Amino acid sequence: MTERQKYTRNFSIIAHIDHGKSTLADRLLEKTRAVSSRDMEEQVLDNMDLERERGITIKARAVNVHYDAKDGHTYSFNLIDTPGHVDFNYEVSRSLNACEGALLVVDATQGIEAQTLANAYLAVDANLEIVPVINKIDLPSADIEQVRGEIEEVIGIPSENCPAVSAKTGLNIEQVLEHIVTDIPAPGGDEDAPLKCLIFDSYYDSYLGVVVYVRVFDGKVRSGDRIHLMHKNTEFEVVDVGTMAPFGLSKTDELTAGQVGYITASIKDVGETRVGDTITLADNPTASPLPGFKHAQPMVFSGIYPSDGAKYGDLRDALEKLQLNDAALTYDPETSAALGFGFRCGFLGLLHMEIIEERLEREFNLDLITTAPSVIYELTMRDGSVKHIDNPSNYPSPDEIEVAAEPVVRASIITPTEYVGGIMDLCQDRRGTSIDMKYIDAHRVELHYELPLNEIIYDFFDALKSRSKGYASLDYEISEYRPSQLVKLDILLNGDIVDALSFIVHADKAYARARKICEKLKDNIPRQLFEIPVQAAIGGKIIARETVKALRKDVLAKCYGGDITRKKKLLEKQKEGKKKMRQLGSVEVSPEAFMAVLKLDDN
Amino acid sequence: MVKKKQTADELRGLGLYLHIPFCLSKCAYCDFYSLPCGQLDAREQKSDMRRYTDSLMLHMEDYSRPCEEYIVETAFIGGGTPTCMPTPLLLDIIDSAYDNFQIAEDAEFTIEANPATVDRRMLKNLRKNGVNRISFGLQSANDDELRGLSRAHNFEDFLESFDDARRAGFDNINIDVMYGIPNQTKTSLRATLDCVIALDPEHISFYGLKIEDGTPFARRRDTLVLPDEDTECDMYLESIEYLEKMGYHHYEISNFARDGMECRHNLKYWNCEEYLGLGPAAHSYFGGKRFSFKRDIKAYMEALEDTDSGVDLLDDSYEVSQSDRSGEYIMLRLRLCDGLDVNEYEKRFSLDFEKQYGKYLKLYVENDFMRHDGASYSFTPKGMYVSNYILSAMLDFDSGIDEKKTIGTDM
Repeated sequence: MTERQKYTRNFSIIAHIDHGKSTLADRLLEKTRAVSSRDMEEQVLDNMDLERERGITIKARAVNVHYDAKDGHTYSFNLIDTPGHVDFNYEVSRSLNACEGALLVVDATQGIEAQTLANAYLAVDANLEIVPVINKIDLPSADIEQVRGEIEEVIGIPSENCPAVSAKTGLNIEQVLEHIVTDIPAPGGDEDAPLKCLIFDSYYDSYLGVVVYVRVFDGKVRSGDRIHLMHKNTEFEVVDVGTMAPFGLSKTDELTAGQVGYITASIKDVGETRVGDTITLADNPTASPLPGFKHAQPMVFSGIYPSDGAKYGDLRDALEKLQLNDAALTYDPETSAALGFGFRCGFLGLLHMEIIEERLEREFNLDLITTAPSVIYELTMRDGSVKHIDNPSNYPSPDEIEVAAEPVVRASIITPTEYVGGIMDLCQDRRGTSIDMKYIDAHRVELHYELPLNEIIYDFFDALKSRSKGYASLDYEISEYRPSQLVKLDILLNGDIVDALSFIVHADKAYARARKICEKLKDNIPRQLFEIPVQAAIGGKIIARETVKALRKDVLAKCYGGDITRKKKLLEKQKEGKKKMRQLGSVEVSPEAFMAVLKLDDN
Repeated sequence: MVKKKQTADELRGLGLYLHIPFCLSKCAYCDFYSLPCGQLDAREQKSDMRRYTDSLMLHMEDYSRPCEEYIVETAFIGGGTPTCMPTPLLLDIIDSAYDNFQIAEDAEFTIEANPATVDRRMLKNLRKNGVNRISFGLQSANDDELRGLSRAHNFEDFLESFDDARRAGFDNINIDVMYGIPNQTKTSLRATLDCVIALDPEHISFYGLKIEDGTPFARRRDTLVLPDEDTECDMYLESIEYLEKMGYHHYEISNFARDGMECRHNLKYWNCEEYLGLGPAAHSYFGGKRFSFKRDIKAYMEALEDTDSGVDLLDDSYEVSQSDRSGEYIMLRLRLCDGLDVNEYEKRFSLDFEKQYGKYLKLYVENDFMRHDGASYSFTPKGMYVSNYILSAMLDFDSGIDEKKTIGTDM
C-alpha cells in the first residue's frame, strides 16, 4: 500500500430521503475547511435548482477534500454523493462500488425507513464498511438509543459507538470525520498493475466534452494515455486527469490506484460513458472488466408532445440537450392522430419522468402534453414472434396475441402498524400478492409484495402515503415478466377514439377503471356549446359513458355603465383559459386530463 | 363661462354620465361604487353630500373646455342612488351640467331613482329642470324577494313612486327587473313581469343576478337558494318571448322598449360612440381613449378641492389600439338584437367580417346561436345567453390590460 493510499478514504453517504444526507455533506465540507460557511451555498453538492426545490439529489457528484485528523496526518477524503431515489438504484450501486465505506445516515426521529434499508443492502452488497450516523439529534422527538437498537437489530451493524450528530447545528461533526479515518479502510489496489477504473458518473461540458468520474482500482492514468472503455468497446485519448475540488476540477499529473477523480478525453457524448463501465489502457489492458455492469434500461414510457405543433423542433432539440447529460433518457419520434407529432420517451421511473418533463417545461420553455406513463408489455404473437409494446396505441388486436406478459416488481413497504390493513387492501386492489410481513419493532411492519409494475407507476405512491398519513415508505425492483389477462381500453370523445388516451389494463379491472376514467375526463372537459359524450370501449364495445352537458349560460348581462374595459378583460381571461385547452378532434380538453385520469385512488 | 358656440352640425355627439356614490343601504348583490349613508345622521349626510356635489361640479368645469367641440345628446345621472341626495344638490348638479356643456335641446336626460327615496316634489323639480327620463330600480314585485335582495323598499312604495313620476310629467320611464334571484320561481317572475307591464312603462331592463366578488351575496353564496342554471336560462328565454308578445321589443341582451323608446344613452355604449363619465369609478370613452376615475370618494374630493394636492384621479387610461377597435365594435354591436352590419363594419375598419370569422359564423348560424339576415349577423336569444363563450373564441384583445386589475369572474 502506498503512502497516498494509506491516507485516502473513499466513502459515500446513504440515507432515506430527508434524513439529512445533503446537510451532513455540507457540514463535512465546511469542517474540512474546503468551503467556508460564508461561501457555503446551501448544499453545494446539489447543483441543480430543480433538485434543490424537491430536496433530492439526482446526479451523483464527487468531491475531494483534505482533513487534518487527530492522529496528526492529513487525509484525502473522496465524498461521493448518491441519488436518493429508487429509480436510480443502479447509479447508487456503482457509486458505492467506487468506495470502501459508507456513512449510513438515520434520522433520530424517524428511525429506519424503506430506503435506509434498501441503501444499506446495496452498501453491504458492495462490501462496504458501514458507519451509522444518527442525525437530527437536536429535535425534541429524537430517540438516539431507540435508533441505535434498530440499526443493530434490523441491519445488523454494531452501533453502540456510532456518532450521533446534528448536521443542522454542526454538533458532533468532528466525530464523524474521525470515524471515517478510523472505521473506513484505506483503499487497496496495485499501482503497477494494468489500469482498471470504474466509471461511476459523467457529465457533458461544452468546453471539455464529457467529464468522466472514475475510481481507479489498479494502475495509473495520465494525459496522453490511450484508454479503452471495455463494455462499450471504444477508445479515446486522455486529455486531462485530475480531482474534483469543491468549486471545480483540479488538474493533476496522474491518477493512481485508490484515488477518485476525473478524466477528459474529448468524448462528445455521455452515451459513450456508461455508468459501471471499466476503463483500461488500450495497449496494456486489464484481464477482465469490473463486475456489475448493466445497460441503461428504461422502465416507464410516455408520449411527449408539444402543445403547439410548431414547436416540435424545439422539443426535439431540448430532448437532445437533456440527453447530453442523461444517458438513461431515451426518445424516439412517434405520431398520434390526436396529438400530432411527438416523441415516445423512456425513463428509469416515474420520478425520472417527472423531472425530465419539468426541465423541458422550465428550462426550455415548452408547453407540453404528456400521455399517461406506460410500461413495456411482452407479447408472444400467434405467429411465434415476440413483440415489445411501449405505447398502448400500438397494442395489437387480441386475436393476434398468444400470450401477453407484463413486468412485475418486488416491493417492500415499511409502515406503522396501524396502517397495515389499509395498505394491504391497497396492494390487493392493485393485484398484489403478499410475499411476507415482518415486524421491525413494536410499531412498524415491513411488507413484501409482488405487484404488477403498471399498478405501481400511476398513483400507488400517493395512495400509499395518504393511507398511512405520509409515514409509509416504498422501495421496489423489477423481478420478472408474467403472463396476464390484459385488454386495451380505448377512450372516445364525441364518438372519436383519442389514441393518446388509450390504456392497457388487466381484464378484471377494466370496467371499474373505465368508469372512473370517464368520470375523471368529464371533470377535465370544460362545458362547450354542444353536449359531449365521453365513452370507454374495449374492442369497439362501449363499456362506460359519461356526458358533459352543453353550456347554456355564459353571458355578461349588464354592461356596467360604460365599463367596456372590464368586459374585454373578462373575455381575455376566458381566452387565456381556452388557450390552455387542447383540441382533441372536436372537443376541448384540459391538458391535465391525461394525468388526471390516473389519480384513481379515492381514499 | 361664455364659449364660442358652434352650429350643431359641426359638433360631435357625446354622452354624459354623472355618478352619485351614495345609497341608503347596500343591496346584497351590488358591487357598484357607493357609500351607504343611511346610518349617518342628517347633518353628516348633508355635509358629505354637499362636499361631493361641489367636487363633481368642479370636475365638470375641468371638462368644459375639452368638450367645446361636443354636444351632449344624452345625459345620465346614475349611482348608487342619485335620489337619496337632497333635491337642491341634484339641481345644482343639473345646472352645472347645462353651464359647462352644450346640451342638445332634445337630449335624453335620465336619472336613476329608488322608490324609497323619491317624492312628487322632487320629481316635479327634476322634470322642470331638464330631466326627462327616469330609471326605477324595482327588481321584483314580490316583497319577499325584495327582502332577499336587501332592497330598501317594497312594492307598494314603488307603485306610489311610479305614480308620482307620471304625475310629475315623466313620459319616459324605465323599470329594472331581475331574474335568477333567491327564492324566485318561473311563476313569481311571470307575476312580476305582469305587474310591471300593467304599469305600461316605456322601457324594461331585465338583468340576471350575478354574484360579484366582495358582495354580501358572495360571502353567503352557500346559503342562497337560487334557481338552477337550466331554470334561469328558461326564465331568460321565455321572458323574452313574453315581453315581445306584450309589445316590448327586445333590442339588447337585457333591454326591452316600446318602439322608439330605446335608451339612447346606453345605445352610445353599444354603438361605440363617445361618452364622458365623471365621478369616482365612472368610465369614459373619449378622444380614442378609455379611462376611468378611482373608486375613492375621499381621494376624489381632495383632488378636486386642491389642485396642488398631487392626488391622481385617474385609475386606468389607455388608447384603444387599432386591432382592439374592431374587436370592441363586434363585442358591443352583437349585444344589440339588430346585430352587426358587414357593410358598416367594412366602411369603418376596412375589414371583411365574413372572411375574418367565417368558420365561426357558419357553425353558430347552423346551430341557431346566430342569425344571418341579409348583411347583418346577430345573436339569437340562445346565442346571447352564451355570447361570452362565443366572443372569447372569436376575439382577441391586445390592449395590454394589467391582469391584476381584473375584477371578479364572469360566472
